[in-house]
Amino acid sequence: MNFIDFSNPFLQLAIKIIVVLLVPLGTLPLIIHVERRGAGFIQNRVGPNRVGPFGLLQPLADVVKFMFKEEALPAHVRPFFYFIAPALALLLALLPLAGIPFFGPIEISGVQVFPEIFRTELGILYVFAATTLGPHALLLAGWASNNKYTVLGSIRACAQMMSYELSMSSVVVTMLLVYNSQDFHVMSAFQNNTWFGVVPMWGLFMQPVAATLFLVGIFAESNRLPFDLAEGESELVAGYHLEYSSMKFAMFFMAEYIHVIGLSMVFIFLFLGGYHVPWVDLSSVANFVPLIQVASLLGKTALMIWLFIWVRWSLPRFRYDHLMKLGWNVMLPLSLVNFVITVFYLYLV
Amino acid sequence: MNLLPILVFTLVGIILGFALLLISLLLGKKRHTIRKYDIYESGVNPVGSANRKYDIKFFLTGILFLLFDIEIVFLFPWALTFKDSPNKAFLLAELAFFLVLLVTGYLFVILSKSLDWEE
Repeated sequence: MNFIDFSNPFLQLAIKIIVVLLVPLGTLPLIIHVERRGAGFIQNRVGPNRVGPFGLLQPLADVVKFMFKEEALPAHVRPFFYFIAPALALLLALLPLAGIPFFGPIEISGVQVFPEIFRTELGILYVFAATTLGPHALLLAGWASNNKYTVLGSIRACAQMMSYELSMSSVVVTMLLVYNSQDFHVMSAFQNNTWFGVVPMWGLFMQPVAATLFLVGIFAESNRLPFDLAEGESELVAGYHLEYSSMKFAMFFMAEYIHVIGLSMVFIFLFLGGYHVPWVDLSSVANFVPLIQVASLLGKTALMIWLFIWVRWSLPRFRYDHLMKLGWNVMLPLSLVNFVITVFYLYLV
Repeated sequence: MNLLPILVFTLVGIILGFALLLISLLLGKKRHTIRKYDIYESGVNPVGSANRKYDIKFFLTGILFLLFDIEIVFLFPWALTFKDSPNKAFLLAELAFFLVLLVTGYLFVILSKSLDWEE
């Protein structure tokens, strides 16, 4: 089967880009359907169930509707920035996925090949930098729409994301101390060990406080309930994307979900063992290791997304001053204290 | 470090974004009504402009975020050298000095009530 030369770096790059674009964009309709049916399940109602078996064709119908809806250009917006904001939101949501490996390094004709598009030893630093670019698109959308609700929504979102990023960065520093590396592959390999052959050495069990802080941080960072003050429909109607219609609205929606996927994957690499499968020795099926690792990572991501949906439909929204207080007066000191405790533990061991 | 892949990926992302923008621009049909292109303010006539003054706390949050986040980013290289270092006591003293500065700044922010949202 050697008529295709897989050791060609350009062919590899093309395959990687297609896969990284197809995985989030292809699963997005499914995620949205699960979210709507899950919401129905939690709220004791049915949810969309008429279009196709179990309502599975509903997302497809929605996509067609988004495409054929009128592209309204309100008179008061700043047209250029109004148009590029959704494209920027989508781009900034996709960028972090370029640094995330879906499986461990493999060998193709004697050369070690890495699965991530952008291979760098600074893995987590790149992905974290790319995820935190997110607020730019929201600010641009809110300002370009030139509407009081959108401007308020976007600066609220920005202030909130920045406040929670502080504790998230200190948690990342703490985890760097533990793993002693910024490389996702090294982190995964580290978490593949076990204590007494039973409990996997996941970040979650080594640093439960850090894991909790980071989990709260990713909820705030992706503007999901209970932190969706940027949208707060009882106050701001829809927040920063209020003036957007048809596909441009859908693009903000897609960007939000891709952002959730990217942040969940970072959480999995820091705290849930990355792409490794605990307890199982894979050396007997060496040829299928990459496939099993992809399934492991995507399965964990699916569980994380279900957690997002579950929390969204279970918890009420914060009040804004409580939210900022939680970020600055509780989470930031707590994450720094956790960091100092980790430093002393590593000093004494 | 090879930067070409990330450039190609960014370019593909930009093209994807503009393709999606174009789809609805070409396929959606237009029906012009005056009210549709008005500012949306819950269905009533818009009051004032969006270029009004917003609470200074938002901007203070932004400035303070820059300060603290840069301080925390300075810890990244420190954290990566600590575990294998032969002279951990010296690194610990460095960290203590750095954290005293950070905590002093933090206490100033909290005690001066710059981020107190309750009026």
